[in-house]
Amino acid sequence: MLSPLEKILFITLTLTSLLWTFVTFRRMVRVIQRGSGSLRWDGLVGRAIEGAGALVTQGWMIRRRPLVSILHAFVAWGFIFYFLVNLTDLAEGFIPGFRVDYDTPAWNIYRLLTDLLTVAALAGVIFLLGRRFLVRPNALQYNDNVLLRPGALTGLSRDSLIVGLFILGHVGSRFIGASVAITAEGADPWQPMAGMVSFSWATLSGYQLEIARHVCWWLALGLILAFLPYFPYSKHAHLFLGPLNWMTRPNRRSMGALDVVDFEDETIEQFGVARLTDLSRTQILDGFACIACNRCQDVCPAYGTGKELSPSAMEVNKRQYLKENLRGLAAGEEDAAELMDYAISESAIWGCLSCGACAEVCPVSNEPMFDILDIRRERVLMNGSFPDELRNAYTGMERNGNPWQMSEDRLAWTHALDFAVPTVEQNPDYDLLYWVGCAGAYDPAAQRVARANATLMHKAGINFAVLGNAESCTGDVARRSGNEHLFYEMAKGNIETLNAAGADQKRIMTGCPHCAHTLGKEYVDFGGHYEVIHHTEMIAEMQEQGSLEPARAVSSVTFHDPCYLGRHRGSYDAPRASLEESGANIAEMARRKQDSFCCGGGGAQVWKEEEPGSEAVSNVRFREAASTGAETLAVGCPFCSRMLGDANARAGEEMQVKDVAEIVLESVEATTNEHE
Amino acid sequence: MNIIALIKQVPDTAQLSPIVDGLQLMQNGQPRIVNPWDEYTLETAIQLKESHGGKVTVLCVGKPESVEALKTGLAMGADEAILISDDTLEGGDSLATARVLVKAIEKIGACDIVVGGRASIDDNHAATAVQVAALMDVPPISYVAELTVEPDAGHLKAVRLLETGRETVTTTLPAVVTVVKEINEPRYPTFIGIRKAANAEILMWTLVDLGLEAEEVGVSGSKLIRTGLEVPQAREATLELIEGAPGDAARTLAERLIEEQVI
Repeated sequence: MLSPLEKILFITLTLTSLLWTFVTFRRMVRVIQRGSGSLRWDGLVGRAIEGAGALVTQGWMIRRRPLVSILHAFVAWGFIFYFLVNLTDLAEGFIPGFRVDYDTPAWNIYRLLTDLLTVAALAGVIFLLGRRFLVRPNALQYNDNVLLRPGALTGLSRDSLIVGLFILGHVGSRFIGASVAITAEGADPWQPMAGMVSFSWATLSGYQLEIARHVCWWLALGLILAFLPYFPYSKHAHLFLGPLNWMTRPNRRSMGALDVVDFEDETIEQFGVARLTDLSRTQILDGFACIACNRCQDVCPAYGTGKELSPSAMEVNKRQYLKENLRGLAAGEEDAAELMDYAISESAIWGCLSCGACAEVCPVSNEPMFDILDIRRERVLMNGSFPDELRNAYTGMERNGNPWQMSEDRLAWTHALDFAVPTVEQNPDYDLLYWVGCAGAYDPAAQRVARANATLMHKAGINFAVLGNAESCTGDVARRSGNEHLFYEMAKGNIETLNAAGADQKRIMTGCPHCAHTLGKEYVDFGGHYEVIHHTEMIAEMQEQGSLEPARAVSSVTFHDPCYLGRHRGSYDAPRASLEESGANIAEMARRKQDSFCCGGGGAQVWKEEEPGSEAVSNVRFREAASTGAETLAVGCPFCSRMLGDANARAGEEMQVKDVAEIVLESVEATTNEHE
Repeated sequence: MNIIALIKQVPDTAQLSPIVDGLQLMQNGQPRIVNPWDEYTLETAIQLKESHGGKVTVLCVGKPESVEALKTGLAMGADEAILISDDTLEGGDSLATARVLVKAIEKIGACDIVVGGRASIDDNHAATAVQVAALMDVPPISYVAELTVEPDAGHLKAVRLLETGRETVTTTLPAVVTVVKEINEPRYPTFIGIRKAANAEILMWTLVDLGLEAEEVGVSGSKLIRTGLEVPQAREATLELIEGAPGDAARTLAERLIEEQVI
């Protein structure tokens, strides 16, 4: 189709464009390589297949914002298919005599798909542009108190506009070209959409139609050449970087298991993250991959309650900084600015609840939570700078082995029981080690849960033991708040205690999801290999084995999924099964399971004042629970119990806040009394 | 500016509980901690160095395990740490301890200011630093809540927090000041600081190094002789829970307090 002159021109432009694109991509790669660690490349084929599946089905996006997600899928499917379309068009232009055959079924289907997907992509992109620039929904804005790097917002808008217009121009001219071809060559039943438009060109002469086809061909493919060098800079790069980020994401033991810091290596001078180049490679890639869809912001409990934190804004700021400094950073120049100068404010750093909702929801596999926790590490380890209230918790952990700074007997909770709770010294042949946790030892509400757990196991005839005063805080609070060194000391001490008690050969049950996560998913990195279950899982197991009396009592309950039981541990069914077995009707909240909304206590928040915002996270969650109409709000974590219990008190004791263990015990005791 | 910080290692009173009384704590209460008032001592000394330059030397009289307290000082940012440890020092009163400290300060040489805490939480005499000043023949400024030092002019201005009010004084350097917790917020050691402290050498001095005779220190060098130590009788206490709406409960509480002549 093309004249020799056109061919030469096209090849020249292609080479220029590719060279320019290559230079930009190489800069990106060099900047990413300044990060620590490495992207994960092992088992890539399997993950690539999985990733391709997710890409084609757009599977992970449909969960939120259904309308937007479907229209985005139209654009995505259109674009994926257009790889083939563009190649075919190129072949038609360059290979003399090559034509899409109008008689073979395969080519008929090809034309039909092209026709339909073209219109779908155009409809999608018009919708998305209209949404971003005319409707301007709140979901695409940021609260005024969120730190935004100057230029980030205009940069984002400009970028969105360029990308949107490019897609419109590229796909639109391809569509017009197809309709012009129909006018020139006669109707094609396999291109109904283009056919509808083809009548517009009926008055044009054959020569004019030929010119129009050339113009459309050049616009469709030429726009790609013009756009390519800009592509790596644009958020459109998510097309490529999203799947790449997804495929090379770290292989974590749980979604929140943090990376290890080597404290023994005396040559290390930088702990935690101050500058963008201190981040790991996958975290730098996050900045490039982010599309500012703000789904993370939607689900962030801190943002939702008016705190300064927006995970999305942080990625957008990183990206803006990267864009502005790409050339210099790629050349190895000093990365002068600290992330806290431009990407995220101090209050935002300390507002994170480490609930993991941002990482869970991100369609391109970003993990903003890790950046924040790494910055906290730098604050604590390098500067000794953190919210004052945490100091008491740290001192308590250092000196008393618990963040409450309590020096009382850790077994005081057992005194009210009518049976003895043996320590590992008294019962060395135990089957299950009950890790009570600091809350169970000292917090009155959690002590009730500890008694309920012990009573249920006693009734079920479980051979268990506790560590008693040898137990100490797992260090979770220190780790989530950036005090990795204190966590490291706690972990070493506990692993020694646990191994001496033979717990590495037995099972451990914890009364707290945070303890379960730390002992089971994080101590592995420090040489502690334990099989750990949470008490709700143990209860479900005892019920399943018929060791506990089935229930008669019927009550209406709503269950709040603790972040570290649910998202971080993937345990959604055990607590629900326990409650149902105990006769409870579960009235579910809208945000549940992997979409659960934090109680406000995670990320060491329970040990400090909530950051300034419009509302307490716990109030929001409590209202949601109360709106189910259930009598009881069931929890499985002492932090949730504390936060939601306080919210309940503020609301005038609308509900009862109880742990699953307490509810099950009440039901078992009611049944037993009935028998007697 | 040459700054000397006096610190002490003490039992952690947070470990007191129904199962650990004061006597058990004094004997077995491990791990021991930096005297809480001396955290303010260290912060004051380090801030002085940060403002005026110079060197902070931390000085401690105590058992060998007191090196841990000195490491805390180094981790916070002190430059040098010296432990004076000797069996003959056992049982010494504040004056005997002050005598040892002054010898050590003389041995260190240059000294523009000595900083101490208002008291140690174990003996609670609040006398050692003042006696150091007396033996050095320099002004003692105790209970300092605000401190401005002008090393070039050779004087300092301090606000003392007294029961009767806030007293502002000025004096010449060198001087000894003891600080109260209102003066600052002690920093949390960074890991870099902790690592530096772990690798640092802590100087260990004995009586011989200081040129002191055994009679001048310990029990024989003391004017105050401890003849006994016992846990005071626990006071009888009754607990009364006041139920009801906040307004009513507050009224009942006020009435009861008046009734018991508390207010």
